[in-house]
Amino acid sequence: MKIYVSADMEGTAGVCAWPQVDPSNTHEYPVYRRYMTREVRAAIDGARSAGGNEFLVNDSHWDMRNLLWDELPEDVRMISGARKPLSMAQGAEQRFDAAFFTGYHARIGEAGAVLAHTYSDATLYDVRVNGTPCTEALLNAAILGLYGTPVVLVTGDRATIDSVTAALPWAVGVAVKDAIGYFAANSLTPVAACAAIHDGAREALAALPRAKPFTFAPPIELVIETAKTEQADFMELLPRVERIGGRAVRFRDDDYLTVFRAFLAAMRIGGAANLPA
Amino acid sequence: MKLYCSTDMEGVAGVSGWQQVDARTPHPEYERYRRYYTQEVAAAIEGARRAGAGDVLVNDSHGPMRNLLFNELPADIRVIFGNRKPYSMVQDADATCDGAFFIGYHGAIGDQNAVLCHTYTPSVIYELRLNGIVCSEATINAALLGAQGVPLLMVTGDRTTVEGVQAQMPWVHGVIVKESIGSLCTDSLSPVAAQRAIADGAAYAVANRSAAKLFQIPAPVEMRVTLAKTEQADYVAMIPDFERSGPREVRFVHDDIHTVFKAFVATFRLGALA
Repeated sequence: MKIYVSADMEGTAGVCAWPQVDPSNTHEYPVYRRYMTREVRAAIDGARSAGGNEFLVNDSHWDMRNLLWDELPEDVRMISGARKPLSMAQGAEQRFDAAFFTGYHARIGEAGAVLAHTYSDATLYDVRVNGTPCTEALLNAAILGLYGTPVVLVTGDRATIDSVTAALPWAVGVAVKDAIGYFAANSLTPVAACAAIHDGAREALAALPRAKPFTFAPPIELVIETAKTEQADFMELLPRVERIGGRAVRFRDDDYLTVFRAFLAAMRIGGAANLPA
Repeated sequence: MKLYCSTDMEGVAGVSGWQQVDARTPHPEYERYRRYYTQEVAAAIEGARRAGAGDVLVNDSHGPMRNLLFNELPADIRVIFGNRKPYSMVQDADATCDGAFFIGYHGAIGDQNAVLCHTYTPSVIYELRLNGIVCSEATINAALLGAQGVPLLMVTGDRTTVEGVQAQMPWVHGVIVKESIGSLCTDSLSPVAAQRAIADGAAYAVANRSAAKLFQIPAPVEMRVTLAKTEQADYVAMIPDFERSGPREVRFVHDDIHTVFKAFVATFRLGALA
């Protein structure tokens, strides 16, 4: 069985602050980077016990080169590096039996969620597809869904698990911590979290027959609310991106792949507006 | 007669190096050339009014686009300041304008003997073509003016710039303020002589405006942008409806030049972040 793993970091057990997940930090980040890798390893080992035998891991956090090779099985493949056209869902077109989202976090604006954001907290204030406020998990799950791959496991804090399993009820959620606001969590230990993730992965694959690929029904409408008006100014330059408010733009297409690429382009050009004028 | 002036700085008399026009890390020379720049704009307005121009809208179109010195310009004109305009160097050039000047313009990136030549963002844009025509800033800006019904009447800058514009728009009156020797050296008129030539050229251009035509790029407009680096093309190719036509090239086709123009602005904005 072929398994895809999109690995983020904010939802790793114990993580409660940016320095722990910021690759430029030389004190806490190296510690949590190892915990992140071990949670990925636990998911892979759990999947293997339920028939998983081929793994593609997509490092999906920050500059996307966090995972430590020496803590992973030698037979996995890994996608490393940023600026991928499908970002956290890169490689989805290879088609998998199932996908895992490890270390995921809640969407921007959600209360009681550690380090909650949606791709870029400096630029994106809210992201909605067909009226539904989206987590990264949902945006990425819909790319995997295009290729028929269901997301069956998500790990992170309880708010993340609750929102993702509400949208993807067939997915197994492993809550490794409970958030106390944005910058605090009551967490399992890394060892206990890995054990829970291992069991969750096994359970998720056992339940695979009732899992479904997640898709958005066309016509698809993407609405982005920006943190600042100047970011919307830049997004509006993109073809077919409509300005629908001082800090809001809209893009419509029947093809979610086109919508997702437009979302990434908008997020990135919005980032360009953050540079000095 | 309402006159529109898009004003750049590299084509001002005497300018031969980036420090003279760099508003972001101002060198003492920038303050000096900023004054010459303003004086060339004032000269163009003075000459145009001699031939009957009334309202004047000036669009500061250089760098951060807040260079012109108000106290050296006539009190009754309007000025557009600030970067990040969706139509950038031709913002607000609408049908109320009867004619346009491009003052202090420079050659397209890649032009030989064109001082400080570039096309919008030299770190990103290696070449810009519309329907196969290699574009300078003057070319794409004039195409937007043409779509708005505004004819380009005059261009000032170095010889390569002026002759390049006239090759595409033969009706445009040119004022050559300097000869370029390579891309970082010029043989120039003095500021005073350049301003006199610009005032006279402006009067001539306005007086003869009935001979001017609209520069139009027929639809569908095919834009091809060659990027300086492959990673910029990686980013830019994500823009809706863009096609990756080469490792360092993207292609975009649309019937409306306004959409193409904004897509070009998006290209250099997004490319700059890569």
